[in-house]
Amino acid sequence: MMKKRDLKSLYSWAGSIVASSTPKKTEKRAKREQSATSEVESLAQDSHQGSYEKEADGFTVPSDTAVALRMIHGQFPKIDKVSVPPFVLISQVYSIVKDRTLVDRELEVMKQDKDVRVFKLSTGQDDFAIMFFDDYVSQVNAIKSRLDGKHPSEDLVIFDWYINHILPIHMDAGITDFHLESILSGVGHQIQERHISLLIKAGLLVRQLAHERSYWLAIPNIGSLLKSLSQGRKELLSLLNRRQYKEVLLSILEKKKLRMSQLDMRFHVRDLLGSGQLFLSHTPAGILVRIPRD
Amino acid sequence: MWQMVGRRETGRLPPHKFRALLQKTRLYSIELAGHKEIASAHKSGVNSLQQIDATEARYLLSGAADGSVAVYDIEQATAYDHSTRTSKHEALFMVDKRVLNGHLYSVSCVHWYPIDTGIFVTGSFDNFVNVWDTNTTQVELQFNMSKKVYSLSMSTLATTHMLIATGTDDTRIRLCDIASGAFTHTLSGHRDSVWVVQWSTRSEWVLVSGGCDGAIRFWDIRRAGCYQILDQQCSQIGRRPPVLKKSSRTHGREDNLCTKYLNASSPIRQRGQKRSFGISAVDSRTAHYGSVAGLQMTADGLHMISAGTDSRLRLWDVESGCNTLVNYPSTYIRGNKGIQMAVTPDSSLVFTPSLNAILVYDVWSGHSYSSLRGHYDQVNCCAFHPQGQELYTGSNDRKILVWAPRRPIDIDNFDYEDAEQAIKADEDAWSD
Repeated sequence: MMKKRDLKSLYSWAGSIVASSTPKKTEKRAKREQSATSEVESLAQDSHQGSYEKEADGFTVPSDTAVALRMIHGQFPKIDKVSVPPFVLISQVYSIVKDRTLVDRELEVMKQDKDVRVFKLSTGQDDFAIMFFDDYVSQVNAIKSRLDGKHPSEDLVIFDWYINHILPIHMDAGITDFHLESILSGVGHQIQERHISLLIKAGLLVRQLAHERSYWLAIPNIGSLLKSLSQGRKELLSLLNRRQYKEVLLSILEKKKLRMSQLDMRFHVRDLLGSGQLFLSHTPAGILVRIPRD
Repeated sequence: MWQMVGRRETGRLPPHKFRALLQKTRLYSIELAGHKEIASAHKSGVNSLQQIDATEARYLLSGAADGSVAVYDIEQATAYDHSTRTSKHEALFMVDKRVLNGHLYSVSCVHWYPIDTGIFVTGSFDNFVNVWDTNTTQVELQFNMSKKVYSLSMSTLATTHMLIATGTDDTRIRLCDIASGAFTHTLSGHRDSVWVVQWSTRSEWVLVSGGCDGAIRFWDIRRAGCYQILDQQCSQIGRRPPVLKKSSRTHGREDNLCTKYLNASSPIRQRGQKRSFGISAVDSRTAHYGSVAGLQMTADGLHMISAGTDSRLRLWDVESGCNTLVNYPSTYIRGNKGIQMAVTPDSSLVFTPSLNAILVYDVWSGHSYSSLRGHYDQVNCCAFHPQGQELYTGSNDRKILVWAPRRPIDIDNFDYEDAEQAIKADEDAWSD
């Protein structure tokens, strides 16, 4: 069992990473962190009494996946042109936590607890983005206030319905017309075509190509980031492929800047590690990044 | 190894545990067999392999892309090569399009008759399902499916029926009866072609099918319609929750975390409740984001592994219909037809073909043990031999490779003449 001192240092380390990299935090998250750290401090004070009861009701040890998510979330690069709250790719979490089954299961628990929201991205066959629930809700509200003057208020009420009714109930990445209708009629609201087209215009729903009348839930304003994601991946892989032995030291790679991507090198390296296109090996000269020769 | 034997000798290791440990170490050290080789008689890619019939575990049936079907005896070698010390197994016979009513196009699936090896069934892209007599190597019965046949299966548990379930390019699954020569059932519900069909290893009436639309449906052939569709969003963490309400309340996060749709026609299934039938055909729940390429039930019939062209393997709990969220990393499955996976009888390892290699995973944790490389082209099918702990794989490079646990090489005591004598003396090697 971990000593209380170690728990406190672990959580404060995670908190410090968050505090150092994000420019602003939402109120709820700041409050939650404050309360957690204050509880840990109070625990440290009466540590010699060994009061396990207090520990049981106040502080829970965060799961591996949760700590990894917070860490990567805190290291999200700063984008100037578009306002997108930080998201984490699931391949990045796989590159940090070795056991993928554990990641899947803990992520499922966090989805059910409405801590995070998982979205399917259109860049690859297996790309999922994880975003904290509060971040997503604040983003939806920001869009609503942006479209305030241009549309009548009975149309804008769809955003409230989206946050209050659809998001808490529907946990998957995709939704069909039928389900939208049934969820909203269950609470007494009538959804119409113009509501759906407003959601598509805002970027919250994206039509599925394979099936008619079904949509993917999406992160708004993410188009340019998706482009830089796929181009950055290609650029990094070509950078390695051009070399004679298809490998480069991580310390040298970190110093390079990708021309075609707004996301930084560390983001792409983690993502490609998790999806299996890059491998790390430890050498006396440092950590080596290479493309597997299979 | 010797320490284990010592512990068994002194009684610190019980005998069943000793046997289980020995089997496990052998299983995990599977590699390309140096002592055994199958001389493939096919002139084109091997599409489907089937064991190792259930009765004797002795004959291997293989179907290839040029319409030929061959049978090999995997216990008795036909020739012995001294220089490399491998025993060669050649085909006992091969039938192709030159035989009357033989298949003209690619054979996609082969199956031994579950009761004995006197009959085998083959399905092919020329729209026919043939029932062959093994001794005369002639086609006895032919079923015209009017669309390409992707997969067929016969139930090994069946005592009251001898139905062949066929998955074709058509959205309907048709069951052919050998006894009457007619089609007995037509199961409709899939929205695209059906690539895999498998009978359940728990009940002789339950059929599982996976289609190009990504859905996996369970059918009870005594009733109309399918009674369960597997949904990848419906998931459970590990084991199913217990039946008693008292103990389930204390479980907290281990509760069955099934997310249910508000669709009125989908049945809400809890353990102990009655199943409600009548899933509508427009139910669009999918088990995979792409098509379902392979299905394999475990020997006890409680779990099922499915492979999809979204390059994912999923482990399903059959009774609750939930995804157990086990992640099998780095598979690569693509293509326009199904693949055949193999699971060991004690359900510890799953072998899945992925491009040119066969990946070995632990079933319950998803840990990848090794990748077996030896084929030059895409691997299509695997068949596991339970007694010999051998794996047979067929691929598009026309070869059937044998993978077996590592054998210690015994150079000094080996008697060449004895081995050759043993092969020649058994000339009338037949079995009753």
